[in-house]
Amino acid sequence: MDNFKILIVDDENDFRETIIKRLRARKIDIEGADSGPKALEMLDAQDFDVIVLDVKMPGMDGIETLREIKLKKPLVEVIMLTGHASVESGIQGMQLGAFDYVMKPVALDDLMDKLRQANERRLIQLEYHK
Amino acid sequence: MQKNSPSSQLMTLLPHLRDNLPVYATALVLALLAVPLGFQGGLPYALAAGLLAALSFFTVRQVLRQKEAAERRKELSDEQLLQSQKLAAIGELSAGIAHEINNPLAIIRQEAEWLLRLFNKDSPPDATETKTGLTEIVRQVDRAREITHNLLNFARRRQPVVQAVELNRIILDMTLLVEKTAPQSRLNLVKHLQPDLPLIASDGPLLRQVILNLLNNAIQAAGQDGTITVITRVADDGQVMVQVNDTGCGIPKEHLAQIFDPFFSTKPQGKGTGLGLAICHGIIERLGGEISVTSVLGQGSSFTIKLPQSLEQRGI
Repeated sequence: MDNFKILIVDDENDFRETIIKRLRARKIDIEGADSGPKALEMLDAQDFDVIVLDVKMPGMDGIETLREIKLKKPLVEVIMLTGHASVESGIQGMQLGAFDYVMKPVALDDLMDKLRQANERRLIQLEYHK
Repeated sequence: MQKNSPSSQLMTLLPHLRDNLPVYATALVLALLAVPLGFQGGLPYALAAGLLAALSFFTVRQVLRQKEAAERRKELSDEQLLQSQKLAAIGELSAGIAHEINNPLAIIRQEAEWLLRLFNKDSPPDATETKTGLTEIVRQVDRAREITHNLLNFARRRQPVVQAVELNRIILDMTLLVEKTAPQSRLNLVKHLQPDLPLIASDGPLLRQVILNLLNNAIQAAGQDGTITVITRVADDGQVMVQVNDTGCGIPKEHLAQIFDPFFSTKPQGKGTGLGLAICHGIIERLGGEISVTSVLGQGSSFTIKLPQSLEQRGI
């Protein structure tokens, strides 16, 4: 029933690979990217429905990546992942059109809930644009 | 597609009949009254009743027409008022933008002129001084960029996407974000959330933005030892209510009316763009709700949001 495609963007390899492994075990279609530019590159090559994006990454950070993603594919929903970002960056992210903020460490069920809600939102917006 | 088919004619007639029901009802009753009167009292009575029917028919119709015209006039003047308010708002807005952008521009000019002077001297300019000047220019450009970005977000009125929203959950998530990231470790955040709060049909991300903005303001107002209280409950009228209270410095009475205006800010220059509450106001309005503020100087402020349980209730 969860037939949507997820991209997780995080420079922490262990964290990213664990999430990928656990979600794939739940039959979720998910890919990973270790940086903002890599994520944007992948987004050019294929379609994703929901992106899970770490706020704090070296080089291009999550906020900058979010801005680029929304320019490229405005209908893709983005869930921001954060360890300890500032409230300002939280506000900035929401203003740039992020769907939600999730604090690390994240319970997988909570993340699944938010992924589903984000995808539902994407589908509703697709309907609007028809 | 036959426009004049009998059924379509009936369809156009129906609303007319409905709107003028009092007129026709009065006429019908009096006309019916005329029949027995005619039997009992003869022709003159029937004629009198008929005349009365016609007379009242015209009077009632006349009154209704006048009422309609008055309503139209009122609508028009409401529209004009709104239009002039809009124009005034645009005026204020442009003044605000000009002011906000001019400040960084002035600093950039100062720094650039100073650097030019340094470079025009014969000896090579001091490296640290050059670096300081250039750093300041970059900082001011960033500041201006943030203003224009915020403004674009403000202008880009994102259409709400309606989903089932668990308001308590949003508040728990956002308070967690704030608690984990607030610079003060002594932040005192109290939550009184009604446990059986109904799901509302609203836009989650937009509400998160509002809650986060209000919490951020409350933290800044409350300062070191302040307390922030977040309350949710169902109001008497069935709307869902969120209240964010702080025990901070409060807002002077003369500022309360402007608090939701774009670019209205009491924060020092360069801190905050004065768009936060304006954005909140815009969002809540689009979601069919209301946002209001009460404040006692020196004791704290209280922001209250009321949201309909479904957007259809408000015809959005």
